[in-house]
Amino acid sequence: MEFNKVRELLDRYWDGTSTLEEEEALRSFFSRDIANLPADLKEAQPLFSYFAAERDIPMPVFPDIEIAVAQPQTPARPVKQMIWQHWMKYAAVLLIAVGIGYAIRQAESRHDQIAVAVSEQDTFDDPEKAFAVTQKALQLLSRNLNKGTAQMQKLAYFNEATEKIKAN
Amino acid sequence: MSLTLFLSQVVPVRQKLYRFAYRLLENEEDAMDVTQDALMKVWQQQERMTDLQNMEAWCMRIVRNLALDKLKARKYRRSEELDRAGDMPAQHQPNPHAAAEQQDVMNNVHRIIAALPEKYRTIIQLRDIDGYSYQEIAEILSVEMSEVKINLHRARKTVREQLQKLQVYGV
Repeated sequence: MEFNKVRELLDRYWDGTSTLEEEEALRSFFSRDIANLPADLKEAQPLFSYFAAERDIPMPVFPDIEIAVAQPQTPARPVKQMIWQHWMKYAAVLLIAVGIGYAIRQAESRHDQIAVAVSEQDTFDDPEKAFAVTQKALQLLSRNLNKGTAQMQKLAYFNEATEKIKAN
Repeated sequence: MSLTLFLSQVVPVRQKLYRFAYRLLENEEDAMDVTQDALMKVWQQQERMTDLQNMEAWCMRIVRNLALDKLKARKYRRSEELDRAGDMPAQHQPNPHAAAEQQDVMNNVHRIIAALPEKYRTIIQLRDIDGYSYQEIAEILSVEMSEVKINLHRARKTVREQLQKLQVYGV
């Protein structure tokens, strides 16, 4: 191929307007070892050599899909299992249920025992101390009750006032 | 029938799918994984096979999506220089200096292509290495054909500028 023709094809190549055939022609031109290549054509030579080299990347060995796909595997027969074969599962569930039930009953009875013991137990051994504490508790109660009565007194004023207004 | 379609149209393009995945991932194992995953995905969606006009483009699209997902997930670190150092043939060559020089040129072009944005890089690879038409590339990338042409033009322009720089300044 003449250099001018190559130049023309290269121009089209760089513009992105070349056809696949023209690009193939360029590839085959640059694949040859040309001694007196003009400088303007030399710039494209490494690129086309690179493309040629990249086409020859080593291929791995692919597994035979054809055979694998063409011979569909026979489905394995389902293994029949009787219900009694799972006895351990049921036994475990039963055991857990019994365990939980027993634990709940135990907890309840212990709770009741504690409540009875607490209700039967005296707080103080010395009657004088018990009397003093009771008095103190009653005093606190009365003090708080008086506070409440004082507040209620104020409310009573309001009630009286509203009744008077209503009466007028 | 989908099995016939799968065996006649999908299985034969495995190598193309692998090559595409390999170029995106730059790793043989990952490319193989993605190719197998893509075939699985195609097989799972076998009911769509009969409706598709271009099965190959569809498969390529699946490969691209899976490869991009993998890239995103693993935050790929490209150690291409080191990887490629091991690829140097250890055979006796008539002119080792020329071979090393040629390898150097290849690495430079590889670097230029790799530095392109993913969209440009994929388009240039699909067109110039795999030889797909504009229409097929548009289908693979799910974009308009005009966009493919524009991006290919821009990609080649960028590559040309970089090649010129390389030739003049050696950088």
